[in-house]
Amino acid sequence: MLYLLFLLLLISVFVVKTNHKVWVTLGVVGAGAVENIVEAAHALCGEAFRFRLLGTQLREADPLSALFMIIISVAAVATVLYSRGYLARYRDRYSSAHFSLHYMALILLYYSMIGVVKSPGGYDFLFDWELMTISSFLLILFEADRKEVRRAALNYLVMMHIGFLFLLTGFVTLSSQGYGTSFAELTVYFAERNPLPLFAVFLVGFGMKAGLFPLHTWLPEAHPAAPAHISAVMSGVMIKTGVYGVIRVTAAVGDERIAQAGMILLGAGIVTGLWGVILAAVQNDIKRLLAYSSIENIGVIFIGLGAAAIGKGTDNAPLAVCGMAGALLHTVNHSFFKSLLFFGAGNVYSQTHSTSLESFGGLIRSMPVTALLFLTGTTAICALPPLNGFVSEFLIYYGLLDGIAANQQAVIASVCGTVALALIGGVAVLAFSKLYAIVFLGAPRTHLVAEAEEADKFRIAACAIPVAGILAVGLAPALFAAGFSDIASQLLGTEPPHFPGADPSASLRAITVAVWVLVAVVGLLLWWKHRAARRRTVESGPTWGCGFTAPTVRMQYTGESFAEGLQTIATSLTKDTVKGKAVDKDEIFPTGHSFEIKHKDTVDKLFSAWWVAMLRLVNERVMRLRTGKINHYVLFALLFLLLILVLSLLNLI
Amino acid sequence: MDTLSYMVQALFNTAVVVAVALLLPGVINRTRAILAGRKGVTMYQHLNNVHLLLRKGAVYSSTTTFLFRAVPAVYLGATLTALLFVPVGNLRPLLSFEGDVVMFAYLFALGRLAIVLAAMDTGSSFEGMGASREALYGALVEPAMFLVFATLALITGYTSFADIFGLCRGVESQMIVVLLLVCYVVVRVITVEAGRIPVDDPRTHLELTMIHEVMVLDYCGIDLGMIQIAGWLKTAAFAVIAADVMAYALWYNIALVLLAALGVGVFIGIVESLQARNKLSRNTTYILTIVALAMVVFFVAYLLQHDIDIQ
Repeated sequence: MLYLLFLLLLISVFVVKTNHKVWVTLGVVGAGAVENIVEAAHALCGEAFRFRLLGTQLREADPLSALFMIIISVAAVATVLYSRGYLARYRDRYSSAHFSLHYMALILLYYSMIGVVKSPGGYDFLFDWELMTISSFLLILFEADRKEVRRAALNYLVMMHIGFLFLLTGFVTLSSQGYGTSFAELTVYFAERNPLPLFAVFLVGFGMKAGLFPLHTWLPEAHPAAPAHISAVMSGVMIKTGVYGVIRVTAAVGDERIAQAGMILLGAGIVTGLWGVILAAVQNDIKRLLAYSSIENIGVIFIGLGAAAIGKGTDNAPLAVCGMAGALLHTVNHSFFKSLLFFGAGNVYSQTHSTSLESFGGLIRSMPVTALLFLTGTTAICALPPLNGFVSEFLIYYGLLDGIAANQQAVIASVCGTVALALIGGVAVLAFSKLYAIVFLGAPRTHLVAEAEEADKFRIAACAIPVAGILAVGLAPALFAAGFSDIASQLLGTEPPHFPGADPSASLRAITVAVWVLVAVVGLLLWWKHRAARRRTVESGPTWGCGFTAPTVRMQYTGESFAEGLQTIATSLTKDTVKGKAVDKDEIFPTGHSFEIKHKDTVDKLFSAWWVAMLRLVNERVMRLRTGKINHYVLFALLFLLLILVLSLLNLI
Repeated sequence: MDTLSYMVQALFNTAVVVAVALLLPGVINRTRAILAGRKGVTMYQHLNNVHLLLRKGAVYSSTTTFLFRAVPAVYLGATLTALLFVPVGNLRPLLSFEGDVVMFAYLFALGRLAIVLAAMDTGSSFEGMGASREALYGALVEPAMFLVFATLALITGYTSFADIFGLCRGVESQMIVVLLLVCYVVVRVITVEAGRIPVDDPRTHLELTMIHEVMVLDYCGIDLGMIQIAGWLKTAAFAVIAADVMAYALWYNIALVLLAALGVGVFIGIVESLQARNKLSRNTTYILTIVALAMVVFFVAYLLQHDIDIQ
């Protein structure tokens, strides 16, 4: 009955007028979101939250599923709301059926993601997983008439199916050994056998979706190709289903081997995080930069997960609980600020028709609201107080520093995690100050940018949803984040640490105070400055040019030059392709130059260069047999018969 | 301890740190003047300069926006908040909680983001140079800072400044050398964070080679004053921590901490008189060397903690 209703609604997307499709979609997704959020709130708050929808009895979801249901629902509603304004300019380019397909895929994506996190595992899970892949593939394909979009979408489809094969292998192995196929059965399997091989298989399968190094190469291709709201939902929540899977599998690993599993997760997290952030800093396309920053944040989440697993294995409760709580909270936080940033990038792209950093500048004047929202996202993603990213990274740091202070087995692992997080945090500031500064600050570099207009109010409303989340977690961490340690301890099967000296909730309360002190001090200083300036002469003049009186906008620092220092250190991480010629040092009066540089990921080779080259080589060798002479082919047939004769004489076949 | 005496102690602590901040630039200047055989300016010249700045009006570049005007308050506000975590010896600071070292470091990162964005807001290529350098050096020095915190946490078993320097008494003799090395790393971190020689020269007059100074070229009057005050506070915060570590290793006394903090100023002054600044391309190597040193210090501390025989 419910399925029939669902099908009917899905069809109604096709029937209504193009203008109304978004509202039907919003209705379908919104209804699901309300239902799922109610269910999740019921699961998280227990009996305190008595609310029955349509008189149905609510199924008990476990807290981890509930958490993911909430972030998926929130992000999906924001995405649909955003899509209206973003897709408006495509209305005369594509047919009504094209939009229908897009919105249908969007609805399917939402329900399949919910299905993934609700499913107890097994083939239901794989069905939803595959549906999620296919629907997101359709969504990426929106601008299918562009060649690079088709290429990126196909690349995505192939990579996801490699990952799917690993997951399938995992579940089939489980069931072929006489176990069921659910995550609960995995616990039994892991308790009875060596869990690491199957753990690794699942890690590759889920890591492919999450964008774990070196399986991340689809992310920076798919995101620039997809429409902005699809990038937002994919980067914000869809890749998190991979994290969800890894958490489920890690939670199933028994106590004896969990420290080793934690080492793997921590190592993967450190490499992923550093790789992602350094590559993010050298990109010169907004959406590629954001895609790499997603990889970085997945790395941070995995550092937290690894710390949690190591903490559990070495009986260090604060490390375990804070690591896990930090990883979960960072998952939630990242879904907020990454959706926001992709929405912002979408606003910029739809108003200026460009995503290349070097064509922007000074957008803060023509798009002030977008600029302010983007600034919020930038500060949050750099994990700076007083916003939410700081709270989750703090929890992970808290766990790691506690692992060091406890001075037991986990010291080396903890210090590696701490140093990696510190470096990731530092380079993230570089990457995002570059992004924000080149796009929104300075003077406009092209006339399209100078004439941009602010985005419509529905899109601003869609951005306001994640901003609310960012401010709530950032300014009241004790209220919103303290519950995460309960979920974490429940997941890990450990007691929440309530002994003095290792209670994160006390620190979170103190952070709340410190954050408000910061806000108050800054506010006071601003007020004081404003008051003092009223009685004095405030003038405006040109920017100081160090004596040069004819500066042009092209003399501004570009994104490429901003990251040049980092680029010179991290040369081996990227492969540069250069078009045109740079200005030579000896040219005192340079003439017109065109210069374009692209920093390609060296890991790309892993999925294109060497095995394709190998296949070509094998092909070439085999081609020598194809001589085109009939006598040779008769000879081959004869040789084949001889081979069979010899083998049968030797009793080999 | 009741709330009132706690508050009095905390306020006294903050006052001491602020006093160090006000004195340090004078100490550095005097040291340099004496070593160069000059008469030099008085100890309080920098205070007069900033007092003058704070009374002035302002000229803003027409390229800049509201962000440019708000940044000095954010920069100074973040630095002031970070200062509230710093204890002098075993006095309790105003704010303190488990893991506050993280917030201390991230507040400075917030200031860095703010000042970098302000520099880029002017659309000047010179300020872009400074911003790009500041962002890179700030990122690279972060691991060194966290390794210092990690070493202190390992030795004392605490993760907040107040507990590290206030609660734990007595340090085994083999740790003294480790702590002195930690102190040295912190002083080296100051050169990066506060833009002193050999990383950056605060007195240079060529925009092409500046880092911190070039970022604030377009600020004047009250804004410039606020940024300079933030710079003093930042230097003082690290200097007091370095002094705390030193006092922790040797002999615990508030007066000694104070003296050591001013000693950091003398050290900076001596370095500035004797050494030239690095070529810019050598700065990354210099910073990575500090990180490597911090790493070595951590592992030495780890080995000593576990009494592993090194033969």
